[in-house]
Amino acid sequence: MSAREIFVVGLSHRTAPLEIRERLAIPAEQLTEDLRALVATGSVDETVVISTCNRVEVYAAATDPVLGSRAARQWLAQRAKSSDLDAHLYERSGGDAVSHVFRVASSLDSMVLGEPQILGQVKDAFTAAEGAGTAGAMLSRCFQKAFTVAKRVRSETGIAAGSVSVSNIACELAAKVFGKLEGRRVLLVGAGEMAEAAAKVLRNDGARLVVLNRSLERAQTLAAAYEGEARTFEDLAAELTLADVVISSTASPRFVITHEVMQTVVKARRHRLMLLVDIAVPRDIDPRVGDFENVFLYDVDQLESVSRGAVDARRKEAESAERIVQGEVLEFESWRKSLELTPTIVALRTRFREVVMAELERTAPRLRSLSDEDRKSLEKMGDAMVNKLLHQPLTELKKGVEADHGGQLLHAVRRLFDLDRGDAPAATPPAKNAATAVAKGEL
Amino acid sequence: MIVTLTFLAAAALYSIAGALYLVFAVRGAEDLGRWATRLLGAAVVAHIVFLGADYAVGGNLPTADIRQMLATTSALIAIGYLLALRRYRLAVLGAFITPVTLLLFLGAGFQRNVAAVPEPVRSALLPVHVGVNILGVVAFALAFAVALAYLIQESLLRKKQLGGLFQRLPPLDVLDSLGFQLVTIGFPLLTVGIITGAVVAARLGEHPSFNVSRLTAMLAWLFFAGVLFLRVLAGWRGRRAAIGTMLGFACAVVVLVGYVLRAEAL
Repeated sequence: MSAREIFVVGLSHRTAPLEIRERLAIPAEQLTEDLRALVATGSVDETVVISTCNRVEVYAAATDPVLGSRAARQWLAQRAKSSDLDAHLYERSGGDAVSHVFRVASSLDSMVLGEPQILGQVKDAFTAAEGAGTAGAMLSRCFQKAFTVAKRVRSETGIAAGSVSVSNIACELAAKVFGKLEGRRVLLVGAGEMAEAAAKVLRNDGARLVVLNRSLERAQTLAAAYEGEARTFEDLAAELTLADVVISSTASPRFVITHEVMQTVVKARRHRLMLLVDIAVPRDIDPRVGDFENVFLYDVDQLESVSRGAVDARRKEAESAERIVQGEVLEFESWRKSLELTPTIVALRTRFREVVMAELERTAPRLRSLSDEDRKSLEKMGDAMVNKLLHQPLTELKKGVEADHGGQLLHAVRRLFDLDRGDAPAATPPAKNAATAVAKGEL
Repeated sequence: MIVTLTFLAAAALYSIAGALYLVFAVRGAEDLGRWATRLLGAAVVAHIVFLGADYAVGGNLPTADIRQMLATTSALIAIGYLLALRRYRLAVLGAFITPVTLLLFLGAGFQRNVAAVPEPVRSALLPVHVGVNILGVVAFALAFAVALAYLIQESLLRKKQLGGLFQRLPPLDVLDSLGFQLVTIGFPLLTVGIITGAVVAARLGEHPSFNVSRLTAMLAWLFFAGVLFLRVLAGWRGRRAAIGTMLGFACAVVVLVGYVLRAEAL
């Protein structure tokens, strides 16, 4: 019997191509329902799901991680409507899972090392799980810790220097195609966080911004902040004809810029060079658009090759970030281990036995008539007293661990009886007996 | 003696500079690029000394015949490139321009015993004809190098191979408009060159028939005309313009080779 185990099952830009990731991407409004459905399977006790352009990951805590991971895999396969998903999935458990979420939040696992958006995305995922009531004590502590680690990494290493994101990389690519972006017309399709990040960079480079969005209001807000113009989708073809660079980042599940639209656009713009960057998952732009002459289309995965240069410069910073993460993982793990029931029971019995035996050792020399046989009987009596005294507390403890406050209960016991003193009880013979007793269920 | 020496020195320096530019383009060591440019500068100095010595010793004007013309043209290409380097970050283009320069320069040394231009041709029109053609070829040679760089850059961008070479080459759009500008400069020069050529040939008593060299000259003209007008009329730009430019320059080279061979035959 042990406490809940944390594990993660998922896929990311490292293991799965864009075609697979976009099939799995979960719309924000559907997340709550999905989280609850996952817990309703009964195989996992807590869960947080992170779904971004570059990853879809199910974090969960379960008393039976094997069962839990099977449920998570089934759920993912169902979402992707695909049976060959396993090849793209990775799974980590225990300390490795904790290390993984710390690294993800610190952007060490991001396509663009050090990009600032991921922390916000992880926070959103956790908030959603809290709202859905699927983030329990274990995952809450784990994610809170992940946020602290991410902040430490950002402030203690230079990994975030220059604050590069996918949007920055897109702008960098635009500069490599057009030279100076000054005076160039850049069309932002979608007015979300990614569009805003791009707008910031592009405005600094002197580009002329046009923000096109389903809701004109949001487009206007973003456009006003960066001295751009706002448009709705009615103007899509006209704006595509005028733009030099298009950066698309809508949440649309279908292609926004289709092959048909581009066919007329390419003619109307007389084949002027055009760079389209699709940073949306699921994609916004039909990949066939990239086949037009003088039209260059990049999706999120293809942007990675652009970012490699920036990554090299940050690798050194990443090393010290990894050290911070590993230190924090050890700390978290020692806390989590303290939650485990078996070592606690073993330690508790050892502590009680130690007291009984020490007292026996002190009294025995004064009882001259005591034969070896009598002494053995006394030792047996001591064991029996320990067992009787501990029976009720241990039964309660075992019950308590299965409930939500189990962690706190275990923690309290370890503190009350000073069980974390450092002498590992498992190494001493009595503990071994106790462990066997526990294993046999002789409580 | 000095003529031969400076010729060989310039040819050697061009070769080494070209090789260094090539290695620089592929590997990207900034130092190599700088050394290549220095060597190219040294080659141009040797080249100019060669032109001066040739004039002093042989009394050959830089535009006297096809050999001098090639020697002058190649020097101007290298100088034009070095001047452009001061304005743009185009060091990688050296890998394309230096070989072109070297080729034309070697063409100048191909045949040392060229017969003098026949008396009737030595009219006032001849220097004009030779002069505009020299400048035209310089513009087209630079346009050719830019177009080649464009095609390489375009295919790298399409294949999403944005590694070292892509980073070192100038931006795609810059190459496109630079190539267009160079063709815009070269085209009227070529037009004047062809017209004056026809007039000179007529004075020579040649039939205004169509020999190979005139035909290829016309072909070059058509290609460049296509690059200019189709761009404006039908939006032919980028890749198509680059290919047209390269074909046009190839024709111009064929014309020059024809002249060298004919000069030899005379």
